[in-house]
Amino acid sequence: MKGYVWAALAVAACTAAGLALRERIDPVNIAMLFLLAVMVIALHFSRGAAIATALAAVSVFDFVFVPPYYSFAVNDGQYLVTFGIMLTVGLVISGLAESARNAARARAALSVEAETERVRSALLSSISHDLRTPLAVMSGASSSLAERGEQLAPAERRALAESIFKQSRDMAEVMGNVLQMTRLETGAIELKRDWASLGEIAGSALDRLAGRLAQHRVMLDLPADLPLVRVDATLIEQVLGNLLENAARHTPAGTLVRLRAARRDAELVVSVEDFGSGLPPEDFKRLFAKFHRGGGEAAGGGIGLGLAICRAIVLLHRGRIWAEQLPGGGTAFRFTLSVDQAPQPPAEEA
Amino acid sequence: MSGPAPTILIVEDEPEIRRFLRASLATEGYRVVESASARRGTIDAGTHKPDLAIVDLGLPDFDGVEVIRRIRSWSSMPIVVLSARIQESAKVEALDAGADDYVTKPFGVGELLARVRAALRHATRSPAGTILGLGASRIDLEKRRVTREGAEVRLTPVEFKLLACLAKHLGLVVTHRQMLSEVWGPSHVGHTHYLRIYMKQLREKLEADPARPKHLVTETGVGYRLLADEA
Repeated sequence: MKGYVWAALAVAACTAAGLALRERIDPVNIAMLFLLAVMVIALHFSRGAAIATALAAVSVFDFVFVPPYYSFAVNDGQYLVTFGIMLTVGLVISGLAESARNAARARAALSVEAETERVRSALLSSISHDLRTPLAVMSGASSSLAERGEQLAPAERRALAESIFKQSRDMAEVMGNVLQMTRLETGAIELKRDWASLGEIAGSALDRLAGRLAQHRVMLDLPADLPLVRVDATLIEQVLGNLLENAARHTPAGTLVRLRAARRDAELVVSVEDFGSGLPPEDFKRLFAKFHRGGGEAAGGGIGLGLAICRAIVLLHRGRIWAEQLPGGGTAFRFTLSVDQAPQPPAEEA
Repeated sequence: MSGPAPTILIVEDEPEIRRFLRASLATEGYRVVESASARRGTIDAGTHKPDLAIVDLGLPDFDGVEVIRRIRSWSSMPIVVLSARIQESAKVEALDAGADDYVTKPFGVGELLARVRAALRHATRSPAGTILGLGASRIDLEKRRVTREGAEVRLTPVEFKLLACLAKHLGLVVTHRQMLSEVWGPSHVGHTHYLRIYMKQLREKLEADPARPKHLVTETGVGYRLLADEA
């Protein structure tokens, strides 16, 4: 429909231009103007719109610009030739444009397919590594307990059982991440925004990760007058948890991990900063991509979904997330949350 | 615990999960009754009159939340819910329907047994008349008196009500909705920001490190939990 409107506009514009120029140029060249209109419409819109433009162009040209003026009483069968040419040009060009558009669509579909394929094979290799190892430990340790339990020293029995417990926890985490990423990508997660305190969320995330951060010095640096935020607290806690875990995983024991927040205009900038050796510059681009693992597999564990999940959650909150090199050589991961004014609770008579 | 061993009902369809629950509950001296479906569990709750029920939320025949509603219609027995991580909202629904606490699968038995103990204690003992120790802070609920390192701490009436509400469910999670309804009234259940503001004030008055609370604990997305020192 839009094509036909543009067709009418184009023909009208050519008519106006032709009227303005008729004293100075030949009718043949005015016909060229109309041909131009047909080309443009054919290039951008449907074949039908191109045919309509050609028809309208020839009619108007004949009516307005061919003597006797303002009549169709043409002795000139020759304008059928004009029409024929315009029609042919219109059809050829709209055909070319159409196939070019199809090719572009196919290319786009193909690259999506390639990306999906890349992600799928990365997922498979991650899963086979991250699940196979704990599974091997679990079946080995549990069968030792079941078949040789009586011959084992109590301390050894306990160690085996504990390693089964630990491995199963890790595996649950991997599964949880894969599941969460899928849910975020398919839009199966709906944001449950409610008033939340970043201080509480941070405290809870740090508690949950106390074990992972035991070898690091942890600093929580939040201003006392931090405003409340309207967020999905469970998801934001997951973002903080993933960033903290990442910091613990990729920096040496004994270094500092700092969680801080600062208000910047209508935003809160939340940061997890580490003081490890930093990241190679080429990593900054791919950092938040799925199945990107910093430092290769040797860096240990992690399926490469943590930061991708962070990114998806922050985007869902309409915030931004990025990584920065810190002057001392460490890395800062920062994200923003928008600040709204929370209403005050009813005043109390003291 | 005096008197006969408490009976615990397990409503869970997975036999392997029932197996380790049964084994670990038995080591604590509890008697165990098992139901493999929601329907069966609702009936067993009536015939066995257990002291506590452990209810899985993902049951095959009908919803675990419905089991809780049916039990609650005639009994105040403590109920601890087992939920998978995917059932985040069902968990809050179960708590608001009357469950006393939850454990998220996969869990270690230590965590579950702690919840079971807290829920049984809650059922058999009234918190009024007890003095709660929260680190350096002492709370006398009956006399409405709070001290910290021996010095009097002044709480506003709302702060005290909030603290008393959590103390009533000592060791157990209390949902935002329950707290708002109990302290401000049922028309305020959506005003979560009241809780954020008052919990911060309470922590500043009672916790040694308000940013990393040990006693007024956040259960993100669910509510709060008051943990006192073991008496």
